[in-house]
Amino acid sequence: MNEIKFNDSDQISKIGKTLIKCLTLCQKNEDVIVLSVNSGMKAKNHLANLGIVPGSIIKKKKEAPLRGPLEIEVKGSKIVIGRGIASKILVNCNKECNI
Amino acid sequence: MKDCCSHKERKKNQFIGNKINIALAGNPNVGKSVIFNQLTGLSQTIGNWPGKTVEKMEGHLNFLGHNINIVDLPGIYSLSAYSLEEIVSREYIASDEVDLIINVIDATNLERNLFFTFQLLELKIPIVIAVNQMDILRKRNKDINFEMFEQIFKVPVIPVVAVHGVGVYQLLEEAIELIYEHKFNPHKKEHRKKRRTHHHHFKIKHMYPKLELNTSSRELFQFPDLSPLLSFGKEVEEKIQLLEDNIEQNIGDTEKYHYPSRFIALKLLENDREIEKLISKDIHNSEIIKTSKDYRKNLEEYHGEEISTIISSEIYQNINKIIDSILIIDTRKETKKQSITDIIDHLTTHSILGYVILALVLIGIYYFTFIIGDFLGGLVDQLYTYLSTDIDTSTVAGKILWEGAVGGFFGAVGGVLVYVIPFFLLIEILQDSGYLPRAAFLLDKFMHVLGVHGKTIITMILGFGCNVPACAGCRIMETEREKKISIALTSLIPCAATMVVVMGLVGEYLGIGFVGLLFLINFIVIIFVGRILNKTMPGECTELIMEMHEYRKPNTRVIIKQTWVRTREFVFRSLPIIILIGILLEVMYIFSVLESVNIILTPITVFCLGLPAVTGIFLIYGILRKELTFALLEVLAVSIGVGSVSLLLSPIQMFVFSLVTMLYIPCFATIIIIAKQTNWKYALQISLLEITIAIIIGSIVNWGYFLIVNF
Ligand SMILES: Nc1nc2c(ncn2[C@@H]2O[C@H](COP(=O)(O)OP(=O)(O)O)[C@@H](O)[C@H]2O)c(=O)[nH]1
Ligand SMILES: [Mg+2]
Repeated sequence: MNEIKFNDSDQISKIGKTLIKCLTLCQKNEDVIVLSVNSGMKAKNHLANLGIVPGSIIKKKKEAPLRGPLEIEVKGSKIVIGRGIASKILVNCNKECNI
Repeated sequence: MKDCCSHKERKKNQFIGNKINIALAGNPNVGKSVIFNQLTGLSQTIGNWPGKTVEKMEGHLNFLGHNINIVDLPGIYSLSAYSLEEIVSREYIASDEVDLIINVIDATNLERNLFFTFQLLELKIPIVIAVNQMDILRKRNKDINFEMFEQIFKVPVIPVVAVHGVGVYQLLEEAIELIYEHKFNPHKKEHRKKRRTHHHHFKIKHMYPKLELNTSSRELFQFPDLSPLLSFGKEVEEKIQLLEDNIEQNIGDTEKYHYPSRFIALKLLENDREIEKLISKDIHNSEIIKTSKDYRKNLEEYHGEEISTIISSEIYQNINKIIDSILIIDTRKETKKQSITDIIDHLTTHSILGYVILALVLIGIYYFTFIIGDFLGGLVDQLYTYLSTDIDTSTVAGKILWEGAVGGFFGAVGGVLVYVIPFFLLIEILQDSGYLPRAAFLLDKFMHVLGVHGKTIITMILGFGCNVPACAGCRIMETEREKKISIALTSLIPCAATMVVVMGLVGEYLGIGFVGLLFLINFIVIIFVGRILNKTMPGECTELIMEMHEYRKPNTRVIIKQTWVRTREFVFRSLPIIILIGILLEVMYIFSVLESVNIILTPITVFCLGLPAVTGIFLIYGILRKELTFALLEVLAVSIGVGSVSLLLSPIQMFVFSLVTMLYIPCFATIIIIAKQTNWKYALQISLLEITIAIIIGSIVNWGYFLIVNF
């Protein structure tokens, strides 16, 4: 119990050096780390409650056809996110983002 | 042993009228309702939270002589004030009405579930944690270290498999102990090792003296010191402490607000409107609110993030640090095999097959509901006819009572309930299996054209069976605008009762191709209405954010139970209204009011729609229950001796009549639900809009056909 330390924000600074890219364009099934969520307040809060905050590791699982929503895996659960919001989630994936 | 029992008996009597109030709280789909059902059996009521359109499930049981009242709270992800469910839950939990919370968490999704637990702990209310779905976790070769869990959280943590009843009564045992002891004693827990499923297996270990519930047990409760667990990063924690001190100095005891001072400080920092409103009722507190604003700005500048993000990510960081010590993963046996649910998931969200399956599911719902309903309805009708032979309906009173009240009752049972029950059953299966979010995923893009996101497709699918529960289901929409559009679209879905008319007339006499054409027109109208509402209503379409649960094998008990509860609810709510209106219509008929109604409606029925004048009153009846339009037509055909409806209406009249029945107005029960979900003004607006559309489209078809044939 005692060796568990709470609250040191090391995770974010470590990933601070990577380039910022966006979620809609990264590969499926690739682990990526969320850098920032730039949507409106309400959506941001909703996403935060579901575990999508800067620093969390997420994975794109599926895309609905015709530029529909994305299915994301985060902390063991699957979340469907509209493409508009997904394009405002910046992560450190390997493809360039066009926004 | 004998002694114990008589002792128990005696004690039992003492506890009568001595209620313990427990609330079940947790994320959606974790198994709260299953636990709730296991505990309360059939003694439940569905109501609404006062003044809110959020459903309130309440039930009672007697456990070891204690009278226990349980409320199944709506599933929520946090205690912020962003959704109505969250506000309702938070206010209820904080109120004096709750003695203890059972926080149900999903063992297979600890991180996200604990996020909510962390927030609950801030409310400093007696709490028992139920770690549910342990069966699934263990199947994945994982387990949980419950001793460590309890050590860290300092509250009782119980493994539960709700669907098998494992651990559910133990939750109550712990709850009662917690309430009476006023604190958590982990060393008393040796007896926990054995798992028991039925409550008569419990030994009465502690007989507690009669509880003085007027001095709230919550006040006496010594909430454990969880400061190392719950504390935030240095900067945030510092500000919370300062704010808390400030609150305690200025307000003193925050008991009158029902929230602990630290919770208020945290929420003020988070810019929580509801708490701010609560605090600012007292003008002396404006200083505190101003300070919280400064602190918030300070923190947001320091972290370069919005406050909600800062706080959420710090909670998640805390959770990350304890997960490793709680969760045991057997790496030797970890398997990565694709399971059957993965395959089903893949197929039902496939970019081509997914849509084919969706179409089949929709047709299947309709088909099943219709076939079963039609069969049962026939039986009910026969029963009514059989009973009617001996009844004297020659007197006015006899006519009103029998044909109005009893006929209305049988009509409601035979015309509506027989469709509603199989439909509820199907919907429960569909819902319990987890299919509906897949449909929302596939059609989200399309729904944006209509001004709503994918979740509306869920309520629209529900609408195929019955618009009434479907419109009630529109409460899941996040904004008022979306709720309103969803309700309008859902109320335009042809329900099972409408299908009776369409199949009976057009399907029977004109062929299935024309049924398809009717559907197409209906579909176009839905798109049209959606587009209009999207354009005219202020605000913007929000984007879909929705959890996609894993597929599960539907649980028979849950399904039957839910179907029963919903049906019972439906019966008690709508049957009395239907019977009343049945009487009213019968009275109007006797006093020949109906004739004049037909005459008044002539310009519309005869001139615009090209229908016989007598259909006017049928359409009025149809507002009550749509299938009545067709049923009365048949009655008329028989009574004037032509025998078949086909001699009464020409093919084009049949088509127009069915089309109008499909579109012209939501049925009475639906209008009431719409009014409840929004307001009467909107319910009337929707009705007017649909009447207008029905008349316009009906006229176009009628006159278009006339012109084509004659020129
Ligand atoms: N395998 C398994 N399934 C469960 C368990 N508890 C609940 N479920 C299933 O989880 C789903 C959601 O349960 P429900 O009680 O409706 O969740 P609620 O949203 O929290 O009320 C249902 O399909 C249940 O059958 C459990 O312990 N084991
Ligand atoms: Mg539930």
